[in-house]
Amino acid sequence: MSASVTKTSGGAIRASLFFATMGLAFVVVALPILSIILFAIFPQLNELSLAGAFGNLTPHLGDPRLVQAVFNSVALGISVCALSTLLAVTAAILRGKLGRGGAIWDLCFLVPFLIPPFTGSFAWIQLGQRNGFIEQILGFNISAVLYTFFGIAAVMALNLFPIIYFTTSSALQIVGQRYDEVARVFGATPMRRLFRILLPLVGTAIVSSNLLVFIMTVEEFGTAEILGRRVGIDFVVTYIHEKLTDWPIDLPGASVLSLILILIALGAYSLHMQLMRRTAISVDEVQTPPGASQRDSLGTALSHVALGILALVAVALPLLSILLSAMMQRMSGGLVWSNLNFNAFIELFTTHEEALGAIGTSLHLATVTALVTVTIGVLAAFFIVRWRSVLSGPLDFLLTLPNALPAMTVAVGLILVWNQVFWPWSPYNTWWVMLLAYTCIMLPYPVRMITSTLRQLPMSMQDAAVVYGASDLGVILRVNGPALLGVSVASGFIVFSIASRELVTSLLLTPPGFETVSTFVFHQFDQGSVNTAMAMSLVSVMISGSFIALGNYLNGLRFKKGQ
Amino acid sequence: MIRKLAISAFALLAASGAHAEDLTVYSAGPKPLSAALAEAFTEKTGITVNLFQSNSGKVMARYEAEKSNPHADVLISASWSHAISLSEAGELLAYTSPNAENVPASLKSDDYVAQGAAAIAMVYNTGLDMPAPAEWSDLTDPAYKDMVTMPDPAASGAALTLVQGLVSKDGDAAWSLFRDLKANGMIVPGANSAALNPVLSGARGVVFGAVDYIALGQKAAGEAIEVVYPASGTVLTPRALMIPASTDQAEDAKKFIDFVLSEEGQALVADRMILPARTDIKADRPGWDDLTLIEFDDAQAAADAEKTMAAFKAAVE
Repeated sequence: MSASVTKTSGGAIRASLFFATMGLAFVVVALPILSIILFAIFPQLNELSLAGAFGNLTPHLGDPRLVQAVFNSVALGISVCALSTLLAVTAAILRGKLGRGGAIWDLCFLVPFLIPPFTGSFAWIQLGQRNGFIEQILGFNISAVLYTFFGIAAVMALNLFPIIYFTTSSALQIVGQRYDEVARVFGATPMRRLFRILLPLVGTAIVSSNLLVFIMTVEEFGTAEILGRRVGIDFVVTYIHEKLTDWPIDLPGASVLSLILILIALGAYSLHMQLMRRTAISVDEVQTPPGASQRDSLGTALSHVALGILALVAVALPLLSILLSAMMQRMSGGLVWSNLNFNAFIELFTTHEEALGAIGTSLHLATVTALVTVTIGVLAAFFIVRWRSVLSGPLDFLLTLPNALPAMTVAVGLILVWNQVFWPWSPYNTWWVMLLAYTCIMLPYPVRMITSTLRQLPMSMQDAAVVYGASDLGVILRVNGPALLGVSVASGFIVFSIASRELVTSLLLTPPGFETVSTFVFHQFDQGSVNTAMAMSLVSVMISGSFIALGNYLNGLRFKKGQ
Repeated sequence: MIRKLAISAFALLAASGAHAEDLTVYSAGPKPLSAALAEAFTEKTGITVNLFQSNSGKVMARYEAEKSNPHADVLISASWSHAISLSEAGELLAYTSPNAENVPASLKSDDYVAQGAAAIAMVYNTGLDMPAPAEWSDLTDPAYKDMVTMPDPAASGAALTLVQGLVSKDGDAAWSLFRDLKANGMIVPGANSAALNPVLSGARGVVFGAVDYIALGQKAAGEAIEVVYPASGTVLTPRALMIPASTDQAEDAKKFIDFVLSEEGQALVADRMILPARTDIKADRPGWDDLTLIEFDDAQAAADAEKTMAAFKAAVE
């Protein structure tokens, strides 16, 4: 145990930081979850009545459809984790060898986040169905693969693998390649190096990002709905959605089902903690990432080709499908030149006044959400990893939990909490309730990513700083902070991208007169204007994507200057 | 940057604070219709409308979640059964608009009234090598093998109404129709757009039970589709207009209902290819005289809804 772990006299700053973090976590995450738990127990809580307590639990828990749905959700979570890990770890290792020349792939793999899962799945359907784009161009279709359990898992993995990719990449940068080099010099085979050196070193990152992917898969609604219904597979989320969507609306029932998702998450979380104990490895110094490619030119070229194929499937094909759908004037017209033009894009900015406003609202919300969640994430990471106390475990779990909650129930929880007459002022029905919802849903990303990186940072520097009298704030700002900057920026971008296209809570919580990109897209879909919806999706991918590219570029400049 | 964001955040906060005296309308799509109605209403009366726009499920979910502190002064749902249930629960304000005189009795009650209605139809892609269907039962023919989609009654109130109508008219024959459709390769992929999109893009041929106004709009925009109303009869899915009893703006809410049912309001409804609730307003689509409607007890059907959905699921699985 090192000095800083056992050091108990934290001082006023640490105490106030801790209370600030816990307080924020409580307001943002615990309050809505508490209200959902209470609602599951007291089915008339929305009328501020405690009548009928527990009457709602037994009928739901005895539902045979639910058992099947839970099984399907868990099976899907595991399959998506396996597929994403395979894709992401391979990609991260290949990319790690490329040095700065591989930066383009980092940008590429952010794109899947920018595509809403619902739109992404629709894009795959347009590509792969009978008479779809692939069949019109190449003469065959992939509906036999797409409309299966495996198809759902593959579409989701292509959307989610970047989470593992980015965490593993940044972990690889920290552990560097010295150990690998040493093993190579001493004659270890590539396979042996991979399984004995590289994977154990980044094991923490892989395990912790897998937790995120698992929980996101179990919670994700768009793909489960659009492909799952078609295949006839029930998931817990689609079941919850059904309870919230068609008559009779069953809010308490949805809360009970949400509790089951929380239990699944709790199971995944404790499994993850056990795995963490086995995989945790500390390295003794931070290594700067290599600037140039570590491969000979053939190896470099092959790595680029492999990453290029992944980018083609995960990024280019869905984007192309969205573009073509946006350009098709008539869906029944097919892929012929006379049926393709840019009218939907032009119309977007000429006849839809709300479009620009929606983009502005989404960007604004996404930026503020990213700033807030990353700040909480950094603070939380220190309390979870470095300044451990009895509350560290609960804090960690609490901040992971929102991912296990279907966004719909988070929204219902927020209404239950904030739409009460006893608050002197309430964020409900204002912009702030959207910020609360987004912050709650997005918190797990920075928390997981920064925590797992902080775990891998050597303690030696922090210990040295403490010995020489650095304060807690000094440790955060001057010692570990700079090393965490990369992952903080990366997680901020991920939050930004996911927040800029958040749909489900927006649909329920938008204050009157408000519109975000995703609600705009949804309403266009709803009215059958697929091309306008797709055009808007693409414009928003472009805008958010260029913000991220710009941020990345500026960050790169700063990084170079700092060296 | 941060200062700018903070300032704009406060500006938004100030701008989005709804005033108590405004009229708050929760409306299920289509959005252009709700927006046009709200705008024209404000122009006419000077009353500001706060519009919350979503789909029927989310409008009702928000209304339910807000029970301890209700905000909605007017609810518009695409599902008639929402109105029936809320009325039975005693949650609606009784009001009969003077403008509802020409609304058929089946589309109004003491405390709710139709804004308009959609009819349920078959929609087929004319670009495919496939005969044109005329009757619901035609779609069990081998010519439509693996070509049929149907919206899921669990996700679409309109599809549920069609199942209820056909079952009340044909009894067991309706259930064997669904089983035969399933045997002929019919898929039930989700809500209305999930059933219509594969037909538009040619992956499938016909929708069994499409909400007609969306398809009529698509056809008008040049899609190669045709909308067929079977001569044996179809059902209407009225869009319910109601005032929650919890409103503190009852007078303004009544004015809004009057406006939606006025000639001007009904013309806006007709513009969206929806059948106006008033029989005396001209529709840009097959109107009251062109449709054969199946009459059935919608209150009883609403009470049996869960049983019907379960039986449907069993039939097509």
